This record gives sequence, C-alpha cells and structure tokens, in this order.
Amino acid sequence: MKVSYKWLNEFVDVDIPYEELGNKFSLMSQEVAGVYSLTDATKIVVGHIISKEKHPDAEKLSVCQVDVGHPVQIVCGAPNVETGQKVIVALVGAVLAGFKIKKAKIRGVESNGMICSLNELGIDKKYVDTSGIYVLPENSKIGSNPLEVLSLDDEVMELDLTPNRGDLLSVMGVAYDTAAILNKELMLKVPQIVEVDEVIDFKIKIETKKCMSYYARVIKNVEIKESPDWLKARLIAAGVRPINNVVDITNYVMLETGQPLHAFDLDKFETREVVVRTANDDEVIKTLDGQDRNLLVDDIVITNGKVPTALGGVMGGYDTEIDEHTKYVLLESATFDPISIRKTSSRLDLRSESSMRFERGVDPNRTILALNRASEMFQNLASGKVLSGVSNVENNNLDDKEIKIDLTYVINYVGYNYSVDDIESVFDALNFEYSRDNESFILSIPSRRKDLVTKQDLIEEIVRIHGYDKIPLTLPKTVSRGGLTTSQLRRRKIRNLLQGFGMDEVISYSLINKDNLYDFTIEETNYTELLKPMSIDKSVMRHTPLNGLIDALKHNIARKNKDLSLFEIGSKYLDTEKMAVCGVLSGVQNQLSWKGNYESVDFYYVKGIIESLLSNLDVEVKYAKPEKTNVNFHPGQTVYIYQNNNLIGFIGKLHPKYQALNDLNDTFIFELVLDDIKFQEEINKFESIQKYPSMERDIAIVVNRDISASLVLDTIKKAGKKLLKDITIFDIYTGENVGESEKSIALKLVFMDKERTLETEEVTERVNKIIKVLEKEINAKLRD
Amino acid sequence: MSINEKLKQIGEEAKKTISIVDTIHDLNNEKARYLGKKGLMAEFMKMMKDATIEEKKEIGKASNEVKQLITKLLDERKEYIENKKVEEKLASESLDVTLPGKISNVGVRHILNQVTEELEDLFIGMGYIIQEGPEIEIDEFNFEKLNLPKDHPARDMQDSFYISDELLLRTHTSPVQVRTMLEYGGKEAIKIVCPGKVYRRDDDDATHSHQFMQFEALVVDKMTTLSDLKGTLLEFAKKLFGDDRSIRLRPSYFPFTEPSMEVDVSCSKCGGSGCNMCKGTGWIEVLGAGMVNNNVLELCGYDSKIYQGFALGMGVERIAMLKYGIDDIRHFYTNDLRFLKQFK
Ligand SMILES: [Zn+2]
Repeated sequence: MKVSYKWLNEFVDVDIPYEELGNKFSLMSQEVAGVYSLTDATKIVVGHIISKEKHPDAEKLSVCQVDVGHPVQIVCGAPNVETGQKVIVALVGAVLAGFKIKKAKIRGVESNGMICSLNELGIDKKYVDTSGIYVLPENSKIGSNPLEVLSLDDEVMELDLTPNRGDLLSVMGVAYDTAAILNKELMLKVPQIVEVDEVIDFKIKIETKKCMSYYARVIKNVEIKESPDWLKARLIAAGVRPINNVVDITNYVMLETGQPLHAFDLDKFETREVVVRTANDDEVIKTLDGQDRNLLVDDIVITNGKVPTALGGVMGGYDTEIDEHTKYVLLESATFDPISIRKTSSRLDLRSESSMRFERGVDPNRTILALNRASEMFQNLASGKVLSGVSNVENNNLDDKEIKIDLTYVINYVGYNYSVDDIESVFDALNFEYSRDNESFILSIPSRRKDLVTKQDLIEEIVRIHGYDKIPLTLPKTVSRGGLTTSQLRRRKIRNLLQGFGMDEVISYSLINKDNLYDFTIEETNYTELLKPMSIDKSVMRHTPLNGLIDALKHNIARKNKDLSLFEIGSKYLDTEKMAVCGVLSGVQNQLSWKGNYESVDFYYVKGIIESLLSNLDVEVKYAKPEKTNVNFHPGQTVYIYQNNNLIGFIGKLHPKYQALNDLNDTFIFELVLDDIKFQEEINKFESIQKYPSMERDIAIVVNRDISASLVLDTIKKAGKKLLKDITIFDIYTGENVGESEKSIALKLVFMDKERTLETEEVTERVNKIIKVLEKEINAKLRD
Repeated sequence: MSINEKLKQIGEEAKKTISIVDTIHDLNNEKARYLGKKGLMAEFMKMMKDATIEEKKEIGKASNEVKQLITKLLDERKEYIENKKVEEKLASESLDVTLPGKISNVGVRHILNQVTEELEDLFIGMGYIIQEGPEIEIDEFNFEKLNLPKDHPARDMQDSFYISDELLLRTHTSPVQVRTMLEYGGKEAIKIVCPGKVYRRDDDDATHSHQFMQFEALVVDKMTTLSDLKGTLLEFAKKLFGDDRSIRLRPSYFPFTEPSMEVDVSCSKCGGSGCNMCKGTGWIEVLGAGMVNNNVLELCGYDSKIYQGFALGMGVERIAMLKYGIDDIRHFYTNDLRFLKQFK
C-alpha cells in the first residue's frame, strides 16, 4: 500500500516529517519499505509561452520565448508546444531524475532550460501520457511551482503489509494507526449527497452465502471526463493509473476506504435487477481486460438476472464497462467471502486491487460509507445526479465482537508491569470502545480490525503502541538439561573424524533430476516425486547424498581442482528418510611436490578411511564382494559392508564408462547408512594395560588366488582362539616363486595372555594348529 | 745421544706422526707403534735393562712422561677424528630448511554446519534440547496445527513443494515443534531448538534458495513471557554478532505466533550510526519471533489458560551471510572448494 502524505493529512494532522512517521510506523505498525517524494525534480517553474518560431536549422525543433517571471529562450522538440500555453519549465541548474539541465546551444541556437512532460519530471510512464509536453491549466501563475499546481508536491509512504492487516489497505486504515502512533485525533468525514427527486428502482437478490451484502446506487447524467489534477496525483501516488473520472472515483474511494466499488454502465445493463449467485459450470464471462473466462461453481457472479455482468469481487464485465459515452451508472458496493475470492482470483491468475482487499476481508461498516463517498464525488466531479435511495441486501452480522482482557493477564504474558492507565491510553489512541471494571477490560472490537480475535491479538496492540522498547530483558525460568542426543553427538564425531582424515564437507540439494535417481542405488527402490516441480532438474528426492557429491566433484574439476576428498552427512529419501554419510574421492590425496611424491587415491585408501572411521565408532563389520552391483560401479572394486549380516554401506570405484560420461577421473565413493547401523550403547570401560609380554610369530602361506584375505583372516582367528590377539598381513606376493594360480600371504601373529607370560612351546603348538586348520580349510601350504 | 734426548726424540716423532692420522684404524696402528708390546717405548725400555737402579728410576720417570704425552696425543687425535666424522655426517645431512613441508590434509566442515553447531552450542548452554524431525512432512504438522488451515492466505508466504495432497517438503522446521508438543502431551515444559533443512518454491538467485537451513527455538511453560523472549534474543545477538550488539523488535505477522515480530540487530559494521551494510538505518533484520499463538498451543495439546510460550526462527544462511559478509546464497550449495576452504 502506497499512501500519499496529503491524503493521509485529511484524516490526521501529521505534524512531523513523513520520513519520521515512516520510522515510527515500522516500529509500531507495519514495515515501511520506503518514504519518497512523488518527484525529485528541482528548479522547475510555471512558464508562459510568448512566442514560438521554427528552428532555422532543424525541422522538428521550435525556438520558444518563455516568460518565467523573466524571459528565457528555450529550444523545444515537443510536437504539441504552442504559443499561449502555460507549461512546466526546468530552468538551467534544474535536476530531473538525476539529470542536470545546462545552458546549451542546440544546432546553433541558445537554449536556457527545458519544457517538460510529466514523465520527464520522474512520474512513471505507466501513469502519464508521454507523447508531448504537459500543458498546465490557463490560470496557473507564472513563476510558481508547477508541482503545487498539479498537486504532485506530495510524498509517498510505501507499506510492506503482512496478510493479517487488510485494514491498512486503505488511507483510512493507515490514518487510524497513524493517529494512534502520534496520539492525535482522527478526523472522519460524512459524505454530503444531494439526492434528486427520482427514486432508485432496482432489485437486489443474493442467492449465495459467498456474498454477504450488496449495496447499490444509481447516478444519472454523468459526464465522463478527465479527473482533476489533485485526484490524478493521488492515484499516481497510490500506484493506480488515472483513466477517467468515473473509474478514477471508484478507485479513489476504494483506496480511501478499503471498500472496492464497481461501476456498471446502466444503459448496457439490460435489466433493472442484480442477482448475485455462484456461476454455472459451463458459464463464460468476458472480463474488462477483454478475456473470456471459463467459470466454475465456486465463482461468484453478479448478473442482471440473465447473464453474468461481473466476476464478483474480482473484475467487472466487458459488456457493461464504463466508456466515454457512459451517462447512466449503477454503483456497486458489496462484501464477498474472502476464501472464495482468493480461490477464483488465484485460479484465473487475476489479482486485482479489488480481489486483494476482499481476500483479506473488508470492513462491512464501510460498505455504505464508500457507496456514499463515491456518489458524493460523482455529484461533484462528474456532474452526476444521485437518485434517491439505496438498494441493498445486508446479511453481515454487524454486531461488534467483544474481547475480555485482564490487566494481570497482560502483565504475566508480557513480563512488564503495565498500569491501567497504560492500557487505557493504548485503547484510546486506537479509537477502541471499551468498558472497564477495576482491572478488567471488555473491548468491543471494531469491524475494521478483522485481525483482532483473541486476547493475544490485543496484547500485540498494547505492546506495539506502548512500545516494544519498554519490555524488559529476562531469560526463561524453565530449568532444563540441554544437550545433544547420542545420534547428534555421533554425527558431530563423524564430521570431526572425516575432517581429520582430510575430507571437506559439502551440503547439496535434496531435489535432483529423475534421470539420476538410480545412479547409485541398486534396485528399483521407491522414490518421492514432487507434484509440481519448478524444473526437471529438481523433481525427485535423491536416494543418496552421492548425487550432490558427484555434482560438487564435477563443479570443482571443471574449475581445475582435480584433487578432491568430499563428504556429506545427509538424508537418503527412500520409503523413509535415513541419515547417511557419503564420500567421493579423486586425484592426489597427499603430496610433497618438489620430491615428486604424489599419493593418488585408490581403493585401499578409501577402505582405510572407512575402517578407521568404523573402528573409532566401535562398529564391527564384515566386508564382502557383492554378486551384482549397480551398473555405474566398477565390478572388481566394490565392496559391501555388513554388520551382523545387515548391509550398512559400500565402498566402490565408479565404472570407467560412468567416469568418461561425466568427465571424471578415477573416482571412489562410499556410503554408510547411519540409521541402519547398530551402535554400541554402553561406554567402553578401562582395561588395565598389558603387564605380560606378547609373542610374535611370522608365517607365510601359499593359497589359491581366489581365496580372499578376509577368509584367511577369519580362518586364522577361529583357529587361533583366545591367545591370538592380533594378525597383520605384511606381504602379498604373486609371481615366479609360487604357482601361476597361487599367491603367497605373509602374516604376523601376535599371542598374548592377560594373566601370565606365555611359554614358547604353547605358542608354537598354537601356530602349528593354525597352520593345520589353514591346510584343511583353505588348502593353504606353508611357504618356507 | 743421551737417554733423555732419545726419549724426547720419540715424543717429537709421536707429535708429528699422530697429528696427521685421519682414521681410527691408523690411529690404532700408531698406538701400537709407540705403546704396543713391541712398540718404540717397549724397545726403548728393553735397551735400558742394564742401567743402574738410580738411572732406571730417572729413566722410568722420564719415559712415563713420554708415555703420558703419547696417550694424550692419541686421545686428542681420537676425539678430533670422531668429531670430524660427526661433522662430515652432519654436513652431508644438511637440508634446505626453507623448502615446504609435507602437508597433513585437514578438511573443513561446511560453513552452514559450523554456524548451526555454534547456534546449537549457544542454546545448549542455556539448557535447550536439540530436536529434529523429518523433511518430508504431513500437511497437518507443517500447516494445520500451526494455525494455518487450508485456504489460509499466509500459506502464500511459503509456497510449498507438495508430494501429495497431504504430504510435502516441510517449509519450516516448526513441524518439529508440533511433534515435540504432541509428544510431551501437554504436560511438561518444553525448551528446544530445531535445526534442519527446509524447502520453498523460490527460484534460486542471490538471496533466495529453494532449499535452505532453518534454526528455530521453542519454549513453553507456565510463566514464559515476552520479556523472556526479548532477553533470549539479546543473548543470541551478542553471542553471534558481538557483545556490544543491541536488538530492536518490530511488529510482524506469522500465523503461529501472536504477537509476532521481526528482530533487528544493531549493525556490527557501523555500530548503529548507519552505513551501506545496514542501508543507513543502523539496524539489520536478522530473524522472526513471537509468542506462541494460543490456537497452536491448543491444537498441540497444551492448555493455553495454563501454558504460554515463545518461538523464534532464523535462516542459517542469512546468519552466515551477515556474519561472514557472504553476498550470494548460492555459494552455500555450489560447494566450490575456493569458497568452502575459506571457513576453517
Ligand atoms: Zn551499518
């Protein structure tokens, strides 16, 4: 809502600079987006064109002698400049929309200023004619300020309204809050209408509950013409384009009262009755903008008893539109159901000044006021004759609602020790009617304030008008033990560990392109798709954060950063949301460049990270090569991770084809689904540090190449029993010293007993047993 | 040549020959040559076997002096050779100590998670519990129980991504508050913060993102007041933006709170006198807050005649942008390392 300073001053005496009111308004009412002058033009005066001659050297230019109190010569290019006109002259030194007027020679002829159009003064093109200079009324005083003549010497306060304060979509509404803020009296006017001797003969029928009231007046002998300058200036200030006096008056009154009005050309109306009903399913109406609108049963239509003549509350009909020949006007002031208006206007994408107000709810007590105010203006500005009487149906409950509120409630709610006087002065400032019994107030809520329903709503009124700055600063007395849950703590730990392993954290989008949905998931898992995505690229919820990680990888590689180690802790969206930690690694991970040491990531580098991570989280897992993987994974370098036979994640290399397709180098990925892991709940108790020495034995065995390391280790562990504390593989060999299909594995076995020092013989015996089991179970041979 | 002269000659010779020895091996040879069983000194003593007792006494004394001299020379030379060896080793091991070292890679946490953790820790310090909830939410929890029935005009304020009529990507973390209130069953006091990802139908540009992170707080108790909210907001502002910050409340509107307000924090760049960062106002809009609407309390099982509460909510991106002077919200989700690595 944009509010003219002059307009507002008709209702409240604003005795401070408008900008200052804007600041107060922001703090006590609604956010003010800005306060600005209608035009910033300086050094402009009314001039009288004394003579006009053709420019000797330019066809389209005229050389004008202009009296601005003293004579000046101005070269003017406007086609409509004529001798005898009163015009707007920008003198040398004037600044128009940031552009300075200088003394100049135009094609050899001296020019000392500029004759202006309104657009050149800074009034937006959408409000004014730009085809030539603006011609002022003949009686304008030479040398005076043309902005004053045109009432453009005004300022605008632009409000950023929240949806609850529909009352502020009117100058009157803003005036109520302004009066409260400045603690000034509100000046309301009663329209003065002189009705003619002819009685209105018009029937109103309302056939839907979605129209709560309908008031109409008839005005005859209307003379369509331009509106006076002051009216146009106010519409421009409010951001509405002036059209003609009749249309302008309905807009003006809507802006002033918040009540939308509609004027029908009664000569085109055919009947003498209005029937308000809901539309039939196959009905069509051509609206003012010339478009045919297909209607639904939810829409409200104003009909002449036969066909729709307006889309109720949203837009008038084309067939009954006011035009330059209109003489006979039916003026409507009605109230409609906000939800219905909202549905219709959003379905048809028809957001008008009118629908915007009805959606937020208008004051039913201003319906008649607005009708009369507009009639008064028709009478004064369009030579209209107002027929006597009003046709109306009123179904609104016009009784004021009451809210009871106690002083102690206010004090306990806010935490500030208000007095009865404090509360009364707020209610008085807001022009609320109330009664008080001791410390208990009963307010009768004005119909203009649809947002006031509960005690809490009244508290807001008290707090904002009395001042937020007066509220003290305290902290909640609620005692509680704050903290993170174990899963939150664990996520922080994982984040810190991966950071320590040199990985950088990213956060990526959850919504991805459907084409990429199964890039990393194995089977046709369920997915979550948006009903109305904004773009194909963001239409489904990802199955894994790996999608975003690959995007981040690609983004950085494209910017010449090829050595990357990224992770994300985020949700997988399958049948349920599951928290996962994922990573992608590519390129060199450790380097000492001048020594030529570059350690590129490989499978075991990534596996080491996962092993360290899981060991730090006390999660014991088994690794197994999957029988079948996603097509984008390298079949020979992918491992599944199991905890108690439940799949909890994987490590893998991307398939060379996928890498090539995505301009990636060798890339390794991993995923651990945190919500699928069973974490140890009890804490690790201290174990006394080993007192007795351990014994180490190295063995080397030869096995078939198909035998996996994990099988070897599992077999040894089983055979090693309690005394075997640790196994390390320290060499893997294939080559001429072993058979073609064989490999040699060298292992270090560590034996230990907490209670005593081990005997050499028993360790030897144990090692022999292990070797026997290895021979038996995996056909291993001891290598010597 | 007298005996003494002879001895002196041996001593002089030892001085010469020992001083040019370069290895321990040669030095041992020298030692044998002078002091060994068949060495020069032994030879000399053999020659003296016919001397008188008086003479022997004298010779013994003199020869001992020479032996001592030779031993000293040998020891000195030994130390010299060993020192030289160490020095040579050191010289050979000398490095260009100005060459760069081998860097241990340390990753960075994403700046949004850093800010979230900072916020979490601030509120944990004031006794708040961190609550989380699903990002795919039911309409009832995301809107209806928050006093936003279907057809409420304020639903426009957060145009949403629907999955079905009843399911959507949450537009704020407030449904976590709803879930907590329902879980607590209208009986216990609540003091929680809810961080998390939220989604709105906004085209991505410098100040909008269809996905962003929110951080909300909720306190519900029998005597929770607006002044408690104001005090909490000031604590937050000081902790995050500096001790000399002040706050200012302005009326606003959210369907789930009443009264609702915008919270401005005094500009950290100019301190309130006005600059380009605060557009000359001295204040920067940082977050929204309010007293929990009684309808919300009732819808979530709390008797509004007994309980009252406050809520506050902020965009983590906005906090990070203000705190670190980041000019484009898209940086957070592009994951360019040149951006991420700036926040260690
Ligand atoms: Zn500033």
